[in-house]
Amino acid sequence: MPTTIVTGRDITFTIDGDDFDAQATSAILTIESTINTYQTLDGKAYYTTDTQGTFAVEMLADWPAGGSLCNALWTAADTAPNTPLAVVFTAASGSVFNFDVQPIFPSAGGTAPDAQTVSLSFTCVTTPTL
Amino acid sequence: MTTLLDVRNDLATALAGVAASVYPVAPEAVIPPACVIIPDSPWLESTLINGAVTKVKVNFVVTAAVANNSNSGALDQLEALIISILGAMPSGYVVGDVQRPSIISVGASNLLVADLNVSTYFTQINT
Repeated sequence: MPTTIVTGRDITFTIDGDDFDAQATSAILTIESTINTYQTLDGKAYYTTDTQGTFAVEMLADWPAGGSLCNALWTAADTAPNTPLAVVFTAASGSVFNFDVQPIFPSAGGTAPDAQTVSLSFTCVTTPTL
Repeated sequence: MTTLLDVRNDLATALAGVAASVYPVAPEAVIPPACVIIPDSPWLESTLINGAVTKVKVNFVVTAAVANNSNSGALDQLEALIISILGAMPSGYVVGDVQRPSIISVGASNLLVADLNVSTYFTQINT
C-alpha cells in the first residue's frame, strides 16, 4: 500500500457557515481524553470518563466591517455568547468533522510592522463526529 | 486584485506620489531619481490551507535610486526619497527594513541606491 500524506493544503473549514480558508493559516482539532487507571489484582484496567475537544485556529486579521470574519466572530460572542457555532472541518477530502464550538472573542491588534494575526482556541461543546 | 501583476501595479500606483519615476518591474534604463519594485527572495511564500485556493505571502524589494553626483547631496536626496516611500506605502503591506545605501553603475551613470523590504498577502481563487 502506498504511503498516504495529507498536508495543511488539504484543510478546509467553515465556522457558522463562513468560509475561513482565505484568512486562516493553521487549523488544528484536538480531542483530549480523561482516562482513569485502576490497579486491580489482575493488572491495570483503564476507563475513559470524559473527552474534551479544542479547535485552534491561526488566521490573518480582517477587521474592516462588512463580511469580515473577525467582525462575525466578535458579534457572535457579543450578542449570543451561549449559542454554539457549527463547525465543518475537512482534514482531507472525505474526512469531514462536524462539531459545535462556544463563541469566543477574537484578539485585536498586533505589533509593528507585522501583519495583524488572530489566535483562537475554541472549546468544542459537542464531540466531533467523523 | 486578480493577478500578481495587479499587486505590483497597485503598489506602483500607491507610490506614484513620490518625487521619482516609479517602475513596477526592473526597467531596461533607469532615470533617477527612481523607485523600482522587484521580487525579493523568497519571492512567494505559501501560506497553506485549502489547496483549491492559491494563497501566498508576496515579498518585494522597493529599490530607491538617486544620481550619485556628490556624496552628501545624493545621500540627502536618498533619505528624503526613502522617507517619502515609507509614507506612501498602502495599507495591507508589511513594511520591513531599509538596507544600507550602496553605489551601483547603470550604463554610464552611478546611482546611490537603498532597498526597502515589503510584503503583502495574495489570494487567487482558482475557478
